[in-house]
Amino acid sequence: MALEAFQVLSAALFCLGLYGVLARRSAVLILMSIELMLNAVNINLIAAAAHQDSAFTGQIIAIFVITVAAAEVGLALAIILRLFRNRSTVNVDEVDLMKW
Amino acid sequence: MELAELAWLIPAFSFIAFFLIVIFGRFLPGKGAFLAILAIAGGFGVFWLVLVGFLDASASSAGCAIAFGQKTCIFSREWFTAGSVVLNWGIIVDPLAVVMLGLVTLVALMVQVYSLGYMKGDPRFGWYYAVHALFIASMLTLVLADNFLLLYVVWELVGVCSYLLIGFWFERRSAAEAAKKAFVTTRIGDVGLLVGILLLFREVGTFDMSTTFQAVSSGAVGEGTVTIVATLLFLGAMGKSAQFPLHVWLPDAMEGPSPVSALIHAATMVAAGVYLVARAFPIFEAAPDALVVVAVIGLITALMGATMALVHTDLKRILAYSTISHLGLMMLSLGAFGYTAAIFHLVAHGLSKAMLFLGAGSVMHGMHEETDIRKMGGLRRVMPLTALTFTIGALSLGGIPVLSGFWSKDEVLLSVLDHKVYLLPFALLVAFLSAAYMARVLYVVFYGELKAENRSVHESPMVMVAPMLLLAVLASLFGFLSIQATDEGGIGTFLFFDKVHDFEPNVGLLAGSVLLAVAAFALCWRIYMSRRIDLAPWKARFAWPICVWENKYYLDDLYQWGIDRLVLVFASFIALFDRVVINDVGVNGLGKSVRRTGFILRYHVSGRVYNYALGMAVGAVAVTVAWWALAA
Repeated sequence: MALEAFQVLSAALFCLGLYGVLARRSAVLILMSIELMLNAVNINLIAAAAHQDSAFTGQIIAIFVITVAAAEVGLALAIILRLFRNRSTVNVDEVDLMKW
Repeated sequence: MELAELAWLIPAFSFIAFFLIVIFGRFLPGKGAFLAILAIAGGFGVFWLVLVGFLDASASSAGCAIAFGQKTCIFSREWFTAGSVVLNWGIIVDPLAVVMLGLVTLVALMVQVYSLGYMKGDPRFGWYYAVHALFIASMLTLVLADNFLLLYVVWELVGVCSYLLIGFWFERRSAAEAAKKAFVTTRIGDVGLLVGILLLFREVGTFDMSTTFQAVSSGAVGEGTVTIVATLLFLGAMGKSAQFPLHVWLPDAMEGPSPVSALIHAATMVAAGVYLVARAFPIFEAAPDALVVVAVIGLITALMGATMALVHTDLKRILAYSTISHLGLMMLSLGAFGYTAAIFHLVAHGLSKAMLFLGAGSVMHGMHEETDIRKMGGLRRVMPLTALTFTIGALSLGGIPVLSGFWSKDEVLLSVLDHKVYLLPFALLVAFLSAAYMARVLYVVFYGELKAENRSVHESPMVMVAPMLLLAVLASLFGFLSIQATDEGGIGTFLFFDKVHDFEPNVGLLAGSVLLAVAAFALCWRIYMSRRIDLAPWKARFAWPICVWENKYYLDDLYQWGIDRLVLVFASFIALFDRVVINDVGVNGLGKSVRRTGFILRYHVSGRVYNYALGMAVGAVAVTVAWWALAA
């Protein structure tokens, strides 16, 4: 399969994620959208790696991204949990305590 | 070491005295007044050393040379260097400077001793002596300055001291106003002086006087420029020496204490203008047109001053108008190449007029600050010594023979006869008028009936009378210096320009001027003493000129009108420009536009992160597209 197909899929996925980050107000959904964008990047990396002779570089980076994303989700969900406990909301617009 | 070089000590003493009195005066007995007197007494002592040293010095002595026929000693040190211009400061000791030194130190010493009595008990007694010392120091430096820059600095300093002393009793509104008027009016002239000095500097590249004079007299500077420079320098002299049309400040300056009027506004500072013209005479000599201006302005001033002195009734103001008139005569004399005559008259007038002002102060002291001569009369019965000195001064200024004013006025007339003969009739008229107004003051104040309310008036203390007596002796005898009695000759062989000035009396002129003076005194005697002539019909017939004279030729009103209608209108236009253009549009306008822009922009700052993220995304896309498009 041509590389372009993967790249188009990756770009579409990235744009979906970006849209989610920009349009959603719920912290959980924003987090999920970020995961979408990370996965779009991963698809891109794997496709590029498969397309090249030395396949390892891309795959290794993709594994790194998954690891970091997992850690990030763990941390972010914990923050969101504490947020909900304290403010009874996960709407990011209402979390403006430190804003002037 | 040359004795003449010691001359710098004379002003230095008084400068030191000034600082000592200002800083430590309040802790010293007598508020430090003795320091000022000691300083000037020391200065007067050094003056004699300088005189002896200067007479002994020959043209080959260190620092000395012959310039314009005169022995001139210059002792100069480097002041500072600015680029290629080296500025020196130093002293010039020549006959002119020596004569002025003698006059200033002597009169200053007399006036300061007199002031001990006159200013006794004044709450600012110490400050009075401090400013006095500063004035004397500046005036002496002015006389000694060997370059125009130093001259200009001390020229302004004497102006400041004059301001401080005119407004010495500044609690009185009229005194404060008079001080301001004097300062502003003289500043107008000073602008001319400064421009003239800078113009000269541009032409010859130095402020040094002797170099400048040599350059000018050798014709290195164009005649047009020299004329302009001379006129500008004369403008400065006009302000300081109260020449028409800048004379209006001097009568008002009489608001100051009488000793101040005697020293500053009669004998020394107002003579600075005459001194300047004499000092810069090589420049004026190269500009005959400017000399005509000097002569004509001097004559107008002399006539105006004399006529106004005839009709005013304020004792000190009459003397002030007389000073203006005599300063005009000196300028007239300078304009007629009468270098020696002008300086001779300056000294003779300075001695006489200082004494007259001290006498006026003595009268005021006795009469509780009364200055209206109509309330006086017969005062010689209660203040005999003051009357005696005042009489000598009045006769001297009136030109009665053997007193100093007679000799010097005759010299002035002689120079006019020689070089500007078409002005001679007017000069003779001034001579007649000056005898007449002095006679009027003398008779009205000191002779005739003593008014009943003045019976308790008493003579001033000795500390005031003694300086007057000493000045009276000098004013009587000084004139004899003009006579070529010895081989050494009179003052004309000492003080001259280019060639020795020999006093050759013109018998006709001499007789004429004496006749005029005697006639004036006799006429006033018949009017004010024997009352054979009734003034009333004459006053009625000549109502309008008397009205003009009493109103000071309406010049004060004209200036007030000019200030109200022209200066203030122009100033309000400038103020409007400042308020609208500079302030509202410029300063406040900038601030307001920033504020308005911020007001609009702040709606675009939502504080929501996803708005910024959108911006980042759009920006990233735009950058990528742009990079792509450019690369393609």
